[in-house]
Amino acid sequence: MAETEIALDIQDLKKYFGGIKAVDGCSFQVPKGQISGLIGPNGSGKTTTFNLLTGVLEADSGEVFYNGENIVGLRPYEVFNRGISRTFQITRIYREMTVFENMLSASSMKMPVREARERAEQLMEFVTLTKLRGEYGGNLSYGQQKLLEFARALMTDPDLILLDEPAAGVNRTLLNNLLDHIHHLQEDQGKTILIVEHDMNVIMNHCEKVFVLDYGVKIAEGLPEDIQTNEDVIEAYFGHR
Amino acid sequence: MAQNEHLRNFGMLAILIIILCALPPNINLYQRSVIMFTMMYVVLSLSWNIISGYTGYVSFGHVMFYGIGAYATGILVVDYGWHWIATLFVGVFVSFVVSLIIGFPVLRLKGPYFAIAMLGAAEGTRVVATVWEDLTHGGEGIGLPNVENSFETYFAMLVVMLVTIVVAYWVGHSRFGIRLNAIREDEIAAESLGINTTFYKLSAFALSAIFPAAAGGIQAYKVLYIDPETEFFILVTIFMKLFAMFGGKGTVIGPILGTFVLYIVQEITWVKFPTAHLIAFGIFIVLVARFMPRGLMGFAIDKGWARKGMVH
Repeated sequence: MAETEIALDIQDLKKYFGGIKAVDGCSFQVPKGQISGLIGPNGSGKTTTFNLLTGVLEADSGEVFYNGENIVGLRPYEVFNRGISRTFQITRIYREMTVFENMLSASSMKMPVREARERAEQLMEFVTLTKLRGEYGGNLSYGQQKLLEFARALMTDPDLILLDEPAAGVNRTLLNNLLDHIHHLQEDQGKTILIVEHDMNVIMNHCEKVFVLDYGVKIAEGLPEDIQTNEDVIEAYFGHR
Repeated sequence: MAQNEHLRNFGMLAILIIILCALPPNINLYQRSVIMFTMMYVVLSLSWNIISGYTGYVSFGHVMFYGIGAYATGILVVDYGWHWIATLFVGVFVSFVVSLIIGFPVLRLKGPYFAIAMLGAAEGTRVVATVWEDLTHGGEGIGLPNVENSFETYFAMLVVMLVTIVVAYWVGHSRFGIRLNAIREDEIAAESLGINTTFYKLSAFALSAIFPAAAGGIQAYKVLYIDPETEFFILVTIFMKLFAMFGGKGTVIGPILGTFVLYIVQEITWVKFPTAHLIAFGIFIVLVARFMPRGLMGFAIDKGWARKGMVH
């Protein structure tokens, strides 16, 4: 069997907030060109891990290799410019900027303006927000904000996309729409996608590999069906039997 | 569509220039002064708007750059015999350098901390201007040559205002401006989406510092006497903020409109109610804040008279 290429290699990552060990020596490897899931009970360190990977938080120790480069210590915009884009657990769209401006804000300054505008138009169409292009981000429904944030994260055509709870607060129709887009990116464009999600239907039905965190430590990884029956994972979620 | 919009806007600007060029010979000295100071506040409020309206870093110390420009002109004209126009470039350069030196540390602060730091920086500059007597003549101030200069200063201010408007227009219709807005809206998201926030904030701060210096220099040559108390007076900062907010901060037309309306209202109330004009002016501002909290442009957007956003 051919060896899977690695997109992101996380090694012994640590982040403590005073006495709280949010991420405590976490190591895992995200396979390239696949949709992977990162799960765990509340407070297990998933979002903190995302923040460490994207430079929003500075790691206390550990290394994260992306295309052979250790990206720990880089500022968020530097991580983004290397091809890693993200969305947030609670949407962080620009509320007093229009949908179109939200999109343009994430375009690279190296990209000519005309090209940036065209890409923004294409992506708005991709997530069915074209009709709302002149509306303030803050006036969109929560589901639409999720779509906008997702589309905005794609403006620079990143290779690795980190999605933090894309299903939270999104109705079933919009969610299916979003998941279709995610599959399209992975299957047709070969993007690597890492999803943090509490909705187990999303994780089990759409991810090829799943990593499980508990108390800032990776306790399991594997295929979704294996994770469902893993004793450590069941214990982390439901406690001792 | 966008092309037509730019043409329309520059057409309006051309009409404004023609009117402002035609006025001076047909109005008296007082009226010329009022219009010159109105143009000066357009420069100041548009400049303040770049860092505070677009980027969301509300500065309470922008008078500092205006004062630096005034002092550059005062010192170089009186002590070194420079032509006053040449001194404006020195004022702009010094302001630019000072904005980088001060901006780098203070732009790490946010919200009220930034506002207070800027207030402190402006006060510090005033104190320096007061105590560094060898350079600034200290508290006794600097008297400039008493010559008739109302036409020269009027047209110099017109040029500076036009340059400021063009730059503000570019900021307001470019990805640079959109990125400044993104910083205002959510700095963490902006940085996570590829915006080097330090670079953009510092650029906006430096850009917002240079035009007040030129305006301050022209003003110094116009009023013929400068001292630390008047050139670093906090009310100047409050006015630039007030005019921008009244017109609609974060827009290009807002600060221009706000200054022309509010400065002229202020002059009228001063003429009509010489003993109580500040109260009348204050009531007017309270009414506007109550019924148009996002300024004239916000009101126009809510009514559907203007489009949302800067780039369409």
